[in-house]
Amino acid sequence: MAKFNFYLGAAASAWLLTVLVVIAELVEPFKNFLKATFSHHWIGKAVMITFAFLVFGFLLRNKKSIGKFSDDKLAWYSMLGSLIVIFLFFVIEFLK
Amino acid sequence: MRDFVLFAHIIAGLALIAFPILILLYLKKKPKWLKALSFATAAISWLLLLPSGKLYITFYPATKTLVKAGSWPWAHDVIMETKEHWGLLLPIIATVAAGLVFTNKAKDSKKWWALLIILSALIGIMGRIIKIGALK
Repeated sequence: MAKFNFYLGAAASAWLLTVLVVIAELVEPFKNFLKATFSHHWIGKAVMITFAFLVFGFLLRNKKSIGKFSDDKLAWYSMLGSLIVIFLFFVIEFLK
Repeated sequence: MRDFVLFAHIIAGLALIAFPILILLYLKKKPKWLKALSFATAAISWLLLLPSGKLYITFYPATKTLVKAGSWPWAHDVIMETKEHWGLLLPIIATVAAGLVFTNKAKDSKKWWALLIILSALIGIMGRIIKIGALK
């Protein structure tokens, strides 16, 4: 029995960070909530994605896939997708 | 204080490029120190959040004002915004890579170490761009 699924923990963190970045930029009250709760929105995002990494990595420790996607591929493409989407989001926001 | 935090930030960032390169070079030979260096790299990636956070939260706002007022406002709006969030994924990536080494999937860790090297280098370059942006 596996103790921790690093892949699915990472996939969860990558997805969550992407969602947090987009929502915090587009919905001001949410960014203010992060600031009020964690003293800074960046700290809030760091705490939340670390928590997601640990919780999902532990809870999904025996999963080898999610649907048709193997855990390693899901983690890899989620991570690359997150990095690309975050960059493109700020490019688009700047050009708006 | 600022200099100490800045140097810690730069040295730890460089370690996240140098250590994974060493790990990749010796991954096939599996030397005794491979797991220790993998663990150290992941640990450094988490510890790096401390000087990064201090620089970003305490010292960056003044730089941000300069960047936004200058002729390269995109250096903050695009580069810094991206950099500060990409940086949050560095410890996750390093931990996945180290975790794979520890669970005897060293071969699978290759691309994660490579991603860590590329991302750390890009973040360093982005930091330099922002610094130049403050002077424009």
